[in-house]
Amino acid sequence: MTANAEELELKDRLSLIESMIAEGRRTTESWGWTFVLWGVAYYVAIAWDILGHNPWAWVITMTIAWLLMMAILWYKAKQQTEKKPSTRAGRSISSIWTALGISMMLLFPAMGFSGRFTPQTFVAVAGAMLGMTNAASSMILKWKAQLACAVVWWVAGAVACFTNVTQCTIVFLAAIFFGQIVFGIYAMICESRRRNQEANHA
Amino acid sequence: MPELPELNPVIHGKLRLALLSLLVGVEEAEFTWLRAKTGSTDGNLGAQLLKLEEAGYVTVEKKFVQRKPQSIYRITEGGRAALTEYVRALKQLLGGAIGA
Repeated sequence: MTANAEELELKDRLSLIESMIAEGRRTTESWGWTFVLWGVAYYVAIAWDILGHNPWAWVITMTIAWLLMMAILWYKAKQQTEKKPSTRAGRSISSIWTALGISMMLLFPAMGFSGRFTPQTFVAVAGAMLGMTNAASSMILKWKAQLACAVVWWVAGAVACFTNVTQCTIVFLAAIFFGQIVFGIYAMICESRRRNQEANHA
Repeated sequence: MPELPELNPVIHGKLRLALLSLLVGVEEAEFTWLRAKTGSTDGNLGAQLLKLEEAGYVTVEKKFVQRKPQSIYRITEGGRAALTEYVRALKQLLGGAIGA
């Protein structure tokens, strides 16, 4: 083998390593739909709570949303032909979102049943929690769009402290729209583009 | 003139190199995923993974999930160190080739 051919062979090995490492780390998970699902669930719960005056509106809607998400995840996992590998980034993100879900499921019903629930406190705490979780995810993924989503929730949480009930509801509705629905649709578009790119590369 | 390093022959095989590079980016991976990513046949992939396993660079966990066999592969600390050393040697060799 000539020196030039050997050099090309070595460079080929180096680019193989780089491309395979990138392939392994590439996250092909799609989570945009969960943002939309929870955004719609929040809207349903708010509408039911305000119009229907049902004290169980939030508990029932959140439980149904959680069951629906689990059913969709189970169905998607069943449809997969090959099991995707677990990555440290994927596990980190899923663990902080799971922790958020548990915190919310414990804290908000407790606030409600203890009689210490006010819309302002709820939006402030939910905003801070969602802001923190989105920010942590964005830092792991190095995704600025999700950091913007975190800012939406942080601002909503802080602003809620200075509002009356009507203003607080408007702030919450706006935060859900931008932080859940708009961001969720944007994430779904990004995921769809990435899948198409991968299909073209394959 | 400094002596040029030798490349680890266990890792130098193209498929074995691809497998170690894939595994270094994930915590664990299933046989079918590795097959899809490398485009290799079952037989060849199994043989190359066995060589990596014998060298102590990967570990395998075989189990049954819903009555289907599943082989989960993980890179070991030794495998990680060997790949790092291989890349270092490769870069040194390429540096020598560029400098020549």
